[in-house]
Amino acid sequence: MLEHIELFFKSIFIDNMVFAVFLGMCSYLAVSKKVATAVGLGAAVIFVLAVTVPMNWLLDKYLLQDGALAWLGPEYAEYNLSFLSFILFIATIATMVQLVEIVVEKFSPSLYNSLGIFLPLIAVNCAILGGSLFMQAREIETFGLAFNYGVSSGIGWFLAILAIAAIREKIRYSNVPAPLRGLGITFIITGLMGIGFQSFGGMLTGGGDSEESVETETAVEKIESEDLGTLELNKNKKNEIDENEISYNDAIKK
Amino acid sequence: MSDKRLTFKKRLHILKHHYRGKKMAPAFNAIHTFLFAPDETTHSGSHVRSADDLKRTMNTVIMALVPVLIFSMFNAGYQHFSAINGFPENFSVMEHFLTWDNFWIGIIKVIPLLVVSYGVGLLIEFIFAVIKGHEVEEGYLVTGMLVPLIVPIDTPLWMLAIAVIFGVVIGKEVFGGTGMNILNPALTIRAFLFFAYPTWMSGDKVWVYEARERAEQIAEGATNIDAISGETVLGFLAQGKGAEMDTIYSTWDMFWGFIPGSVGETPTFLILLGGLFLVFSKIASWRIMLSAVLGSLVMGLIFNGVVDQGWITGNSPFYGLMSFDFWKHLLVGGLAFGIVYMATDPVTGAQTNRGKWIYGFLIGFMSVMIRVFNPAYPEGVFLAILLMNVFAPTIDHYIVQGNIKKRLKRLTNATIYPKDSEGEAKELKAETV
Repeated sequence: MLEHIELFFKSIFIDNMVFAVFLGMCSYLAVSKKVATAVGLGAAVIFVLAVTVPMNWLLDKYLLQDGALAWLGPEYAEYNLSFLSFILFIATIATMVQLVEIVVEKFSPSLYNSLGIFLPLIAVNCAILGGSLFMQAREIETFGLAFNYGVSSGIGWFLAILAIAAIREKIRYSNVPAPLRGLGITFIITGLMGIGFQSFGGMLTGGGDSEESVETETAVEKIESEDLGTLELNKNKKNEIDENEISYNDAIKK
Repeated sequence: MSDKRLTFKKRLHILKHHYRGKKMAPAFNAIHTFLFAPDETTHSGSHVRSADDLKRTMNTVIMALVPVLIFSMFNAGYQHFSAINGFPENFSVMEHFLTWDNFWIGIIKVIPLLVVSYGVGLLIEFIFAVIKGHEVEEGYLVTGMLVPLIVPIDTPLWMLAIAVIFGVVIGKEVFGGTGMNILNPALTIRAFLFFAYPTWMSGDKVWVYEARERAEQIAEGATNIDAISGETVLGFLAQGKGAEMDTIYSTWDMFWGFIPGSVGETPTFLILLGGLFLVFSKIASWRIMLSAVLGSLVMGLIFNGVVDQGWITGNSPFYGLMSFDFWKHLLVGGLAFGIVYMATDPVTGAQTNRGKWIYGFLIGFMSVMIRVFNPAYPEGVFLAILLMNVFAPTIDHYIVQGNIKKRLKRLTNATIYPKDSEGEAKELKAETV
């Protein structure tokens, strides 16, 4: 029970789909002009995540994982079909989205019209595929937890799009500088909201983080030296490319 | 009349007329209205007859902040000398606190923070006003005062300057200036400092003047100085050193503010007075303050209850803060300061009355929760307020929608009596009209 509660809050606030991993940004940015529409899309995303993550969990467990086919018989125990995860996950997601589209069109034509192209685009919403892939990568153990994970990460995405839609309605009449109007200011708002959501960063990790501030400086130095290394590599590569270009140009001239 | 006899006011007036309609006009207008009472009257749009303009609102908040600022200047010195010589026995306010030595430390450490904050912030406001061609807005007056009060005392001035530039440009000006921002600019500045320079913003070496400098000198091999440190009450508790903390600071110390912390967040008593002043001058919302206090008390009570039930034992990393008496959360750290001066920001807070209750309650609730559950940020009040700033428009939206629905329902159920051609009242349902 405790792990359910922990996973629930963790995926809503700490590993928020938008502010922690920046997934599902396209529809988040595009359909957040009005709260009502945003709520519709958010609800659709919750539904799709809640259905696809457990379904993909089943697929992963009984079809894709290393040795998952053991239930067919001992001769299948050595198969590892995990290279098929992307294509199978996407197939599940596309089917489910089609279903949602049919249902929404039937029961709420106005929502269907206001969502427009973005409803079918849920199929390629990275938050949805991301949910399934995170489920696979984090090795979520039971079907119940997978369902919980789908619902709660959907709720996290829903909260994010709800908040930004309300903010965008509020600033509709603000005197935003002309070059920033529209998407520009939305990106800035998203960044600022991310700062707000930082309050959850590091929560539920059990207190090991207090040491972190001491080590930060060394970490920065390391990164810097690594950066320098990669920079030099890049330079070398550039030189090579330049040489190649010269020879190519020369070749043309000849 | 020769130029020499002209008063400053007249020169300013001449300059103002000279630049009227030109690019630099807003800058001179701002200086004029700031220093002298403006003689212009509103010449367009609708007129609201009220003595309560933006400048006066801002000045009231600044007045409520001045006692805190003066206290913090003395406290800067008091913490510094106490860290060197040990806390005085038989503490008396006149002998140990209100001394010139203490005040001098305040002058050399707190005043530069204040000057940089105002200088950089107002410079940006002026530049933006000139570029965009509107009058300079007074919005930065309060922010500029709040910023030095919520940073650790040893914050380098260049860091503060960068953070102020970020906070004013990204936090406010890109949204169209004063009154349009979604996050409190002062808190945006604090958050920027916190995430960009974490080693300067937390730990036990940043809250007392010279502590960091001395630690660096000792690390380089200096032997003629002693290391000093000052851990905040919350820092002690987060590390599970509550018993040690009790021997150093009493509850009355926390109430009067003789504890280390960000420059101006410690004097709970003066903040309380400032809060009452703001409530009675009707500048700040008492709903937000009251509900935020309630929220923090409720969360504190829940945590105390959990400890009393024995669900959390001394081994848990959360034990120290969870077992802290629920009402003492209001006395330490930035909670009181945040509730009174930050949460009540009329621009970024919730704007409907019922929304204010929800908004304030969640601020108090989240503040204590972040303190306890997030070991990285025991001083997490500012993050709680930023988070609720993000959700304030959502809360408002649903309160407004709820009201609209309620009124529509009332209207459709109402009975009205239009007169027909014969002058007789006829009962009709509104929905049929």
